[in-house]
Amino acid sequence: MAGSVYIPVQNSEEEVCVALDQLPRDAADILDILKAEQAPLSLWLIIAREYYNQGKIVQFLQILDEGSGPEIDEYYADVKYERISILNALGAYYTFMATTGPAEAKEKNFVLATSSYNRASRIDAIEPSTWIGKALLCIARDELDKLEKAKENFKIVLDYNPSHVPGLLGQACVFFMMGEKEENIRKAQEFYKNALENYKRSLRLYPGCPAVVRLGIGYCQYRLGQLGKARKAFDRVLQLDPDNVEANVALGVMDIQTNEAGNIRRGVERMELAHDKDPVDPMVLNHLGNHFFFTGQHFLVEQLTETALENGRDHPLLKSQAYYNLARSYHSKGDYDKAGRYYIAAAKEIKRPKDFVLPFYGLGQIQLKLKDLKSSLSSFEKVLEVYPENVESLKAIGHIYAQQRQTEKAIEIFKKVTRIDPKDSQAFLELGELLLPTDSNAALEALKTARNLLKKSGEDIPIELLNTIGVLHFEKEDFELAEQTFKEALGDGIWVSFLDEKSDHSKVNINGNALNLRDVGLFHQLEEDGESLDLPWDKVTTLFNYARLLEQRHDTGMASIFYRFIIFKYSGYVDAYLRLAAIAKARHDFQLSIELVGDALKVDEKNPHALCMLADLELKSDGWVKAKDTIRAAKDATSGKDSYSNLALGNWNYFAALRSSEKKGPKLEATHLEKAKELYTKVLKEHKGNMYAANGTGIVLAEKGHFDVSKDLFTQVQEAAASGSALVQMPDVWVNLAHIYLAQGQFSLATKMYQNCSRKFYYGTDSTILLYLARAQYDAEQWQDCKKTLLRALHLAPSNPTLRFNIGVAMQKYSASTLQKTKRTADEIRFTLSELENAVRMFRQLCGCTYYHSHGFDDKKFGTHVEYCQHLLEAAKVHCEAAEREEHQTRQRLEVARQVSLAEEARRKAEEQRKLQAEKRKQEDELKQIKQLEEHFERVKEQWKSSTHASGGKRRERSRHDDEEGGERKRRRNTGGGGRRRKKDKRTEAQYEDDEGYAEMEYNDKSQDEAEEREYTDNPANGSDDGAGPAPKSPDHFLAAAGFDDSDVDDVGGPSSRAGKKRRAFSESDEDEEPVIKKRRVSPSNSAGSDGENREAKGNSLRDDEDDDM
Amino acid sequence: MKLSGIKSAESCHDDSIWAAAWVPPSTSRATSLLLTGSLDESVRLWHSDDLSSAAPPSRGHSLGVVSLAAHPSGSLAAATSLDSLVRVFDVDTAASVALLEAAPSEAWGLQFNPKGTLLAVAGGGSATVKLWDTATWQLVDTLAVPRPEGARPDRPAPSGIPTGNFILAVAWSPDGRRLACSSYDGSVAVFDTARAKLLHHLSGHHMPVRSLVFSPVDPRVLFTGSDDSHVHMYDADGRSLVAAMSGHAGGVSSVDASPDGAALATGSADRTVRLWDVGMRAAVQTMANHTDHVWGVAFRPDTSGAGTRAAGRLASVSDDRSISLYDHS
Repeated sequence: MAGSVYIPVQNSEEEVCVALDQLPRDAADILDILKAEQAPLSLWLIIAREYYNQGKIVQFLQILDEGSGPEIDEYYADVKYERISILNALGAYYTFMATTGPAEAKEKNFVLATSSYNRASRIDAIEPSTWIGKALLCIARDELDKLEKAKENFKIVLDYNPSHVPGLLGQACVFFMMGEKEENIRKAQEFYKNALENYKRSLRLYPGCPAVVRLGIGYCQYRLGQLGKARKAFDRVLQLDPDNVEANVALGVMDIQTNEAGNIRRGVERMELAHDKDPVDPMVLNHLGNHFFFTGQHFLVEQLTETALENGRDHPLLKSQAYYNLARSYHSKGDYDKAGRYYIAAAKEIKRPKDFVLPFYGLGQIQLKLKDLKSSLSSFEKVLEVYPENVESLKAIGHIYAQQRQTEKAIEIFKKVTRIDPKDSQAFLELGELLLPTDSNAALEALKTARNLLKKSGEDIPIELLNTIGVLHFEKEDFELAEQTFKEALGDGIWVSFLDEKSDHSKVNINGNALNLRDVGLFHQLEEDGESLDLPWDKVTTLFNYARLLEQRHDTGMASIFYRFIIFKYSGYVDAYLRLAAIAKARHDFQLSIELVGDALKVDEKNPHALCMLADLELKSDGWVKAKDTIRAAKDATSGKDSYSNLALGNWNYFAALRSSEKKGPKLEATHLEKAKELYTKVLKEHKGNMYAANGTGIVLAEKGHFDVSKDLFTQVQEAAASGSALVQMPDVWVNLAHIYLAQGQFSLATKMYQNCSRKFYYGTDSTILLYLARAQYDAEQWQDCKKTLLRALHLAPSNPTLRFNIGVAMQKYSASTLQKTKRTADEIRFTLSELENAVRMFRQLCGCTYYHSHGFDDKKFGTHVEYCQHLLEAAKVHCEAAEREEHQTRQRLEVARQVSLAEEARRKAEEQRKLQAEKRKQEDELKQIKQLEEHFERVKEQWKSSTHASGGKRRERSRHDDEEGGERKRRRNTGGGGRRRKKDKRTEAQYEDDEGYAEMEYNDKSQDEAEEREYTDNPANGSDDGAGPAPKSPDHFLAAAGFDDSDVDDVGGPSSRAGKKRRAFSESDEDEEPVIKKRRVSPSNSAGSDGENREAKGNSLRDDEDDDM
Repeated sequence: MKLSGIKSAESCHDDSIWAAAWVPPSTSRATSLLLTGSLDESVRLWHSDDLSSAAPPSRGHSLGVVSLAAHPSGSLAAATSLDSLVRVFDVDTAASVALLEAAPSEAWGLQFNPKGTLLAVAGGGSATVKLWDTATWQLVDTLAVPRPEGARPDRPAPSGIPTGNFILAVAWSPDGRRLACSSYDGSVAVFDTARAKLLHHLSGHHMPVRSLVFSPVDPRVLFTGSDDSHVHMYDADGRSLVAAMSGHAGGVSSVDASPDGAALATGSADRTVRLWDVGMRAAVQTMANHTDHVWGVAFRPDTSGAGTRAAGRLASVSDDRSISLYDHS
């Protein structure tokens, strides 16, 4: 290449020969010659260029500076073109220096370049090469408005000469760059097309142009999506210039992008080739780094990118990419600190996020991982500024909102994601999870969509997802679907053979063992038989839920097998013990239930749910003092936050208040009542929707006589319970409402309420509610209905002497009222007679059955009733005789009338006379009867008084106790006022007050009626005569009423999980044995976040359906 | 093994129907009849094909009929009522034959022994089973039912209602050698009738067992139905619980075994009748004809003799005053 130039010697034929490769080190030597010989300026330029090519920049500048000096302008005033060339060369040099040189000199270089070009323009305003230089300068400044300027400059050139190749190329370049910067893809395509057009034209005009022109063509075609043509262009470049790095890189990128193993390999080979040619080209390094990142060769990534960083120092984008590669590499290795730092570095290199947004995404992920939610949010928001519909970033943002408890925002985001990409199963999953606490239907829809999407794409469906779907179906009482889903989630395992009716396991082993809820021998046996008893941990929850489903469908046998299997495999699974205990409790096997709770407490002695259940069982069996300690322990175990234990304590206090009132401790009663109220109120404050606390508050208010307020409360609770989940039932509140109606004398409303309650919740099998109903009917003077109700109750609970006694009283009452009527038929009286006979039998039988005596009845009481009924019976017999005689006479009269003619009227008159006489006699009889009974009552009264005083405290206590007990059972809650009255010392009067209204109208003997009133309500339930020992049975009633049995025990297992808390919102007031279902959070798989298992909402059945008497 | 409804007759009584029993053919009558007893204090008789009334009702069962039993001869039947009396009457004429009273004890479930010589009556709170001679109608024996071992006398029964051991139901084994009785606290006692001796208790229930029946083909197999909504199958001689079958949503008030012993029918407070496959130990069918508590289920005994087989019939009665008749095949 290097040749020589000949500098003509002035005024001679000689020339000085300068060998270009032997240019003197000092440019001044050459300059001297050039100046002395007044060499053509073109020679100056050639030599300067040579210096430049040899890297001798100083000399190059020296020559050009000299060559553009004012002297030259003088000497060579006519030689325009060469002068311009020199200036343009300078301009080009400064432009180049501005873009590649040190950043601090950038502006200075631009200024120098600009002034060079301006000078060139002054020499000749239309010289195209100057315009081109200016345009290039504009391009170098890399700003949009400058691009416009460059375009104008090129246009000037091309207007002057449309075939100006450099102008065409420049224009092409500008168009391409404008395309790169254009946001709108269609406009960008226009730019690329224009660029391509220009490139093609220059190629046609100048087919021998350098290979790089084809590179431009290739880029344009690539951008326009014409990959094949682009590839051809790049190939052509390589044909012309096999060492061309850019073409290699371009082809490499295209190869890698095809995402096929073979092509990728070829692409990487190309990259490596390019790397060999130019080991420091940052673009190549970045691409290679990128590749090795994906192949997991992080060491190479770091090496390559570090090299790239050293060499790409001045190109922000490339540098940013290099940082990004490094960050990514550390990210994937889990070194979040370093990764974070490099992401930040990468982000800093970029002026606008839209130039290269990936670092922000990575940074967001790192920040999320490091729980810096706020920064993470802003990083992802930057990504969204550039790509507002970027699904991954949206999901990350949604996730962050969810973590910040901004559920609604999170839901909005995920809804948007699912709109943008209706096939993103992950988004549906998260959306479903978020919707769970507020809208289970929508949640179910979202989760189902997620499942279908996963299924369609052939991916594994996470067991947690299926579990949650199953639970949602369960809660909607879609038991079939729930079962299918659970089965799908569980897949294959030993449980399949348990469920298979035809398999041997179910037949031989299971049923026999079904009752022994603590026995796991079955599984040992199976193990010995070589069965595989695998139960992966992630399936336990689902198996547990499935067992809950089986329980709900009353297949308790299989449910217990599942629970025991869980215990067999994971002996620390407290909930399974508790469910087994609940099953035992439902079957009234309290001993076994206590043992099972004991097993649970062995695992976790402070488990509040086990403790609560234990307390409940203790109340059911004997020690209510013990129970209080247990409840306290439960409360302590939850540091007082558990509403169940608070409620239980409230109920306990309520019961204690009732006991105090029994024992004439009005102060204590008030204290306990106050304490109970306080506890209920506390629970209500924490959980506004807690129906049990509201119910308890209502009871306390009713107890204090505020019926209207308590009625409102009960009504609200009832409505809430009715509108809530179908799995939540609250029969107590119905009973309490009915009590209120009864207390307010609205008998028909009370009756209806009791009837509905009995039918709705107890299949009509709760004898206690029937007893309440009978009471209401009794008060409404519907004696026959009352009797029928009591007979039904007796049929259910034949060993309850109270029912028998009350039946007797109802019949007695009916008879008395019938006899009292002024008009009655002989049939009525005959029926009355048989009723009285039955009543006498009933009382006699009670008398004779000694085993009832310990329950608060004594022969004396029965004797009194027998005596009274017999009185009635005798009276009735007289009535009956009279009525029968009357009937007989009527018959006779008709007979006679038929036989005898009208003439015998006189005789008929005589007969009437006789009839009148009969009437008189009857009245006399009645009077006599009244007298008799009055006397009798006096006797009885005396007896009562004397016995009360004589037998002293014990007898008194005893009868008091009877009264109290009876009153309580029947109307504890309905006669708050009555409760007060009971405490008066004049017991007898007070006790009867509320009966007086109609007692006055009773048949002849008021006091007898009162006695029966009193005794009607007698309830011998409590056998403890001395009143000292704890009464074993009574607690149930009141506590049940207060919702003790039913109160909410939620989230047994996942106390602190976010999901659990959220779920609390609606599981608040439900529970009891309800959805003892556990859900598992499906942890979002994008990036970071909740990896642990968060269990949800689990109630635990501490509830007992029976014994909800008051 | 399948039930198919033949007929449901509404308003068969004026009030809840609490008891049902089949009366086998007698010397004067060729067909079996269905006997039902109700809270309306009457016992009524029905034809087994169309549930048409077969005889005038027997009345005077004061306070409501608790339980019914038919004598194997087909001519007599006995009913207990809430007034604790046992009324024995002629099936076809409804004429009273005897009035049995063992005051002060109550009378609840009752059954004639297979030979028809004895009538066993559950003695309620007296914790006994009374045996009456069916020729003289004299009380011949009283079997005392002690609390099972380990029961705590100081602790009241779990129902919340204080009780002794209230005997609710009795069942004779098909060979007449065993008599089982069940009680309100869930215990089941098995007696050797020849020696009038208690053999043992069967444990497993803790709530009232209102109904129990021996398999007609295997005197060792005893089925019980309890308020705990389970049906148990015991080996009555071996004292062991063979199977516990769950499925009812409410208490089981009545159990009966099919004549071939392969199927079991139960009536429950959950308003359904279930059919169980004894071999599979699983419910195979649930009938929801009734709208209220099903108190009685009864298979028609197979009296057609060897070689022939009468069509299987099941009847169920309910608080809803209706009777349902099913074909069992």
